[in-house]
Amino acid sequence: MNNRNFVRGMFLMAIAALFGGVATRYTVGTFGHSGPGLFPIMVSAFLFLIGLITAVRSFFVERLPVDYNVKNIAVILASLVGFALISEHLNMILGIVFMVFVSTLAGTSYSVVRNIKIAICLVAIAFAFKNLLGLNLPLY
Amino acid sequence: MDVLHNLSFGFEQALTLQNLLYCALGCTVGTLIGLLPGLGPLSTISLLLPLTYSIPTGGALIMLAGIYYGAQYGDSVSAITMKIPHASSIVACIDGYQMTLKGKTGLALFTAGLSSFIGGTVAIIVLSTMAPALGEVGFLFGPADYCALMLLGFFCVSFVSAGSLLNGLAMAMVGVLLGVVGTDVNSGVARYTMDLAFLQDGIGLISIALGCFGIAEVVKNLDNKNVLTPFNGKIKLMPTWPEFKRIWPSALRGSVIGSILGILPGGGPTIAQFAAYAADKKFSKYKHEIGTGCIEGVAGQAAADEAAARTSFIPLMAIGIPENAVMALMMAAFVVKGIQPGPNMIATHPDLFWGLVASMWIGNCFLLVLNVPLVRYWLSVFKIPYTVLFPAIMFFCCIGTFSINNSIDDIYTTAVFGLIGYLFLRLDMEAAPLMLGFILGPMLEENFRRAMLLSRGDFGVFVSRPISGTLLAVIAIVVVWQVVAFFRAVRKKSAPAIDAVVPTTS
Repeated sequence: MNNRNFVRGMFLMAIAALFGGVATRYTVGTFGHSGPGLFPIMVSAFLFLIGLITAVRSFFVERLPVDYNVKNIAVILASLVGFALISEHLNMILGIVFMVFVSTLAGTSYSVVRNIKIAICLVAIAFAFKNLLGLNLPLY
Repeated sequence: MDVLHNLSFGFEQALTLQNLLYCALGCTVGTLIGLLPGLGPLSTISLLLPLTYSIPTGGALIMLAGIYYGAQYGDSVSAITMKIPHASSIVACIDGYQMTLKGKTGLALFTAGLSSFIGGTVAIIVLSTMAPALGEVGFLFGPADYCALMLLGFFCVSFVSAGSLLNGLAMAMVGVLLGVVGTDVNSGVARYTMDLAFLQDGIGLISIALGCFGIAEVVKNLDNKNVLTPFNGKIKLMPTWPEFKRIWPSALRGSVIGSILGILPGGGPTIAQFAAYAADKKFSKYKHEIGTGCIEGVAGQAAADEAAARTSFIPLMAIGIPENAVMALMMAAFVVKGIQPGPNMIATHPDLFWGLVASMWIGNCFLLVLNVPLVRYWLSVFKIPYTVLFPAIMFFCCIGTFSINNSIDDIYTTAVFGLIGYLFLRLDMEAAPLMLGFILGPMLEENFRRAMLLSRGDFGVFVSRPISGTLLAVIAIVVVWQVVAFFRAVRKKSAPAIDAVVPTTS
């Protein structure tokens, strides 16, 4: 079903079921003396109700399709995760260069020269942050 | 005069060279980043929050406040010149952009600058008189009252920012659930941590904020592929005397409206702008011109915008409950600095409170100087193409999340919330209530559990206490009104449909 409102309702119910389901494993207790599970269960129940109303309501209001573009979000997330992995195992300068070159794949145009310029600027800013503002960046 | 004495004490605090510098820096950086497409006040503050960690408390708060109203103002400049609004300056697009089309950009910018100044000044008078008084009220609040106030905040924010009570409320609840992640304060049980060590202290606020507002916004702009045409027109700033006289009444009206709406739960700049614009449409001497690009259409909303941006600090500092997502971030900044906003704050940290109030007025002057004569230089920011801009934004997101705990794990969290934020965006779910829910969630749980403990599990306490009873009654009215409005809309929609069917069959 490609209907934004309906998908949203389902999505909310899934989140509520996930949090509520896990919460039942914690001690619930009574209202007067509540355990760690009580509050999440109450909130999840409320959220589930909202999700249900949203899903039912979607049949009465205008249908809007879900439009999305897998490529852009995938490229951006890949560049983020790559940045984190490279910074963790090698160093952050390489991470920045990797991020610039991968993330610009999502842009409207691609230019290696421009990417090199951006990367140099960002590395310079990173050095300024490290030395002037005292941020503890593992640059090299 | 107590207030005057306090204010002069505040100016003493704010006028040190160091604090002046932080204020100027905050205003400048805030305006600069606020101007950039796709970065409103929320993302600007979350991007720059980590940078203030190494600054002394007073300076950090002054700088953050400067970033906030600077970003708010920068937003309206981009709205007037190029009609690219963020959520916070939709109204400025209407008459402001019309004035640009007429070639009166300079006049529009001058009007916005001056009105913002008037709005800010009025708001500071309100802030310095109201906040201490409201702080007294704050002492009367019990746990049940806090719960009711937070619930009211959720309802109002949902209604204002998402436009639909149901969607906004859902997001607030998702935020509350995310706030539960981490170690339970009362029992020490680790909840929803999936045995990951870095989740023991809960999910990082900045990770969520940058994921939902930074990364997701970047992808949204990339999806849209809209190319911005930089503004190249001429700017003639100084108005003529009759034009100048037209600014005042609207700006004053907007200031008052903005100051009041800034204090109410769920209030803030956005709703204040709409209200001020509507008021001008009704009461202004030139109401027939509004919508076609006239001074009143810009002055009122700009004044209300800046006034509300400042008075929305009142509930945070006097009662300790942030009323919208931006204030929720501010509260996080206060807490990081070891200050608990609330009724005690004004008494225990008078230097911070009055210093902040005074710095807002100084910031006002900075903004006026920065923006009115220098606006043409600011506009050159738009000549940077988005393909260059977005890797830089991502870089700042990464550095921001990393430097909070010096932990790479936080970047993964940001990536996860980037994906979730993108899903939310594509499903038309506004992330602002989520922020508020996330910050208020732990407080809501704490106060709820305390209230129930005190009443031995009796829900009657929420109704019987006068403050919480009144607040809950307001919520009930809002809900009933929404349900009635929905059914009316459905009936109205099905009625013309039937009308349309009838003639064809007959």
